[in-house]
Amino acid sequence: MLRNTLGFTRRGFLLGLLVLACACKGESKGGAAAGEGGKGGKLVIGMSQCNLGEPWRVQMNADIAAAAKEHPEIELIFKDAQNDTLKQRAHVEELVAQKVDVLLVSPKEAQPLTEPVGKAFDAGIPVIVLDRAVLGERYTTFIGADNKKIGRAAGEWVKKVLGGKGKVVELKGLMTSTPGQDRSAGFREGIAGSEIEIAFEADMKWLEPEARKEMDSALARLSKIDLVYAHNDPGAHGAYLAARAAGREKEMKFVGIDALPHEGVSYVEQGILDATFQYPTGGREAVETALRIRKGEAVPKRITLGSRRFTKEDGKKGGEVIE
Amino acid sequence: MINKEQSLEAPAARPSGKNAQWTRSTLARALFSLALVLALGVVFPAEGAFFRLGTHQGAWRQASVVGILACGLLPVILAGGIDLSVGSVLGLSAVVAAKLSIHEGAPAWLSVFCVLAIGATCGAASGAVVAFARVQPFVATLAMMVFARGLAKTASGGTKVATAVPGPDGALHYVDVPPLFRALDAQVFGGDVAAVTLVFLAIAVVVGFFCARHRIGRYWYAVGGNEEAARLSGVPVRATKILAYVISGLCAAAAGICQAAQEQQGDPEAGVTYELTAIAMVVIGGTSLKGGRGGMGLTLLGILTIGYLDKILSINAVPEASRLMLTGAIVIVAAVAQKNS
Repeated sequence: MLRNTLGFTRRGFLLGLLVLACACKGESKGGAAAGEGGKGGKLVIGMSQCNLGEPWRVQMNADIAAAAKEHPEIELIFKDAQNDTLKQRAHVEELVAQKVDVLLVSPKEAQPLTEPVGKAFDAGIPVIVLDRAVLGERYTTFIGADNKKIGRAAGEWVKKVLGGKGKVVELKGLMTSTPGQDRSAGFREGIAGSEIEIAFEADMKWLEPEARKEMDSALARLSKIDLVYAHNDPGAHGAYLAARAAGREKEMKFVGIDALPHEGVSYVEQGILDATFQYPTGGREAVETALRIRKGEAVPKRITLGSRRFTKEDGKKGGEVIE
Repeated sequence: MINKEQSLEAPAARPSGKNAQWTRSTLARALFSLALVLALGVVFPAEGAFFRLGTHQGAWRQASVVGILACGLLPVILAGGIDLSVGSVLGLSAVVAAKLSIHEGAPAWLSVFCVLAIGATCGAASGAVVAFARVQPFVATLAMMVFARGLAKTASGGTKVATAVPGPDGALHYVDVPPLFRALDAQVFGGDVAAVTLVFLAIAVVVGFFCARHRIGRYWYAVGGNEEAARLSGVPVRATKILAYVISGLCAAAAGICQAAQEQQGDPEAGVTYELTAIAMVVIGGTSLKGGRGGMGLTLLGILTIGYLDKILSINAVPEASRLMLTGAIVIVAAVAQKNS
């Protein structure tokens, strides 16, 4: 029964893919031919996203789509690998087979995707790697933000608003992930040299319910908390809800990271968080870079995105740029 | 024949002395597991935090949502099945509850009714596939798990359904947290008990009543113990099974409303892997995955064991890696202790 069901699904899936591939192939061929013909041709951009479970990645795709909308010659093909490395590998190979003009890829993992991405690059397709890097040099450009820098900016801001001393709770993202490690290390660099003490730290695995749980424990242990630093905005929101349930939300400040429009920024506007630090998606920059590549301009091997700080005051002008 | 009649109508007074002994020893072992975990808290009280009322209130509150799932799983497991879809149905329910009560401004009773109807439908669908198409429960509910998660993502449009509502022009405007969510997230009895804990206990009492005191409970035990014998004794096997899955779906829906209320939003990713925790809670209590043996009392002990373990590791700020290893080790100790019974 199981084998039957799976067999049927796989066949259906393959059939669907085949239809999709044929449909896309026709389009991209047209685009390539027009491209050779000169200016005004289509620019087919294939985007392989590693998963759309995280709102931040949904935002990245939305940013790409919004930027592409301003250029009618751009045609987008999105693929969602649903957090499956092998699926993403297949998606990259499919996009190469379709001969897209520019390949965007935000890899789930570096090692397994280095080879397929490298092959695409070797085949002469410009490759823009977003957010997470691949190994080696076989790609055109990498666009990403610097988590350590953002963590440091958060730490420096915290040092300033707390007047250099106080008790801080740190709710960490998954500490086996690089963003978690960098956001933690950067923050510690930022508060270095002050009397700020990290009195409680726990791994909330980027999840809001986990953050609320850990914050409950922090509240049970500490009679005074001055500030909560969470590695993402949902984490800071969960901490706020825990503190409010304990009637202690006025006693402390809440700081998050990511600053998505309908998450962190809206939490700041509603007065739930005191500050959030943007982790830019790079979607717009990716499309702009793709256009520059098409024009034949040289692009740097690595583009590091700037970040913005959103507080109640900064938020009105679209955030304060962090140097 | 007389024996069979008795076992169908009154499992609490099983004629066989061996069974009575089984019930006693299983209860003792479940209590042992809980005591073991509580002792861990006494030895590592985290600067006295373990002895504060708030910690226990928190432990119960945090165990409540998954506990509701475990209560719903109990009839299914007693009847010899399994329901892997509860975590996804929870996510779907959270999204729909948030959509209705935050975005549509629907009154509390209407939101609750709609969400419970969706949960019951999901359960009935799984149950029907199991009972009529004779698909293994593992496969049928695995399919529902994937399907309901997809439905949750579709209904939410891939993002969290929160109090920041996007207008037609894309600009956000903010609405108040609906009364239903505020009521469920409140602390009652002078702030000592969370409302969701009361919901959890109420559901436990109702499901426990059906399992132990109602005819349908006897049917669950009978079907889980020996399906063929139950059928020959006149038990409506298909309806019995479907009803078990419907209760599981209803509980998952209730858990979803509680989850959304506590998060003040409907997260389509809510409840991922909760089904595994809920199954662990039922099994650690001593309810057999083979069906036919177990009960609500044991399940409650299982829920508290896992809930307190989670809380004690959290107040001691044990790093994630050690937490996973400790949880695994303690689950094994509890499971081995139950295995001997």
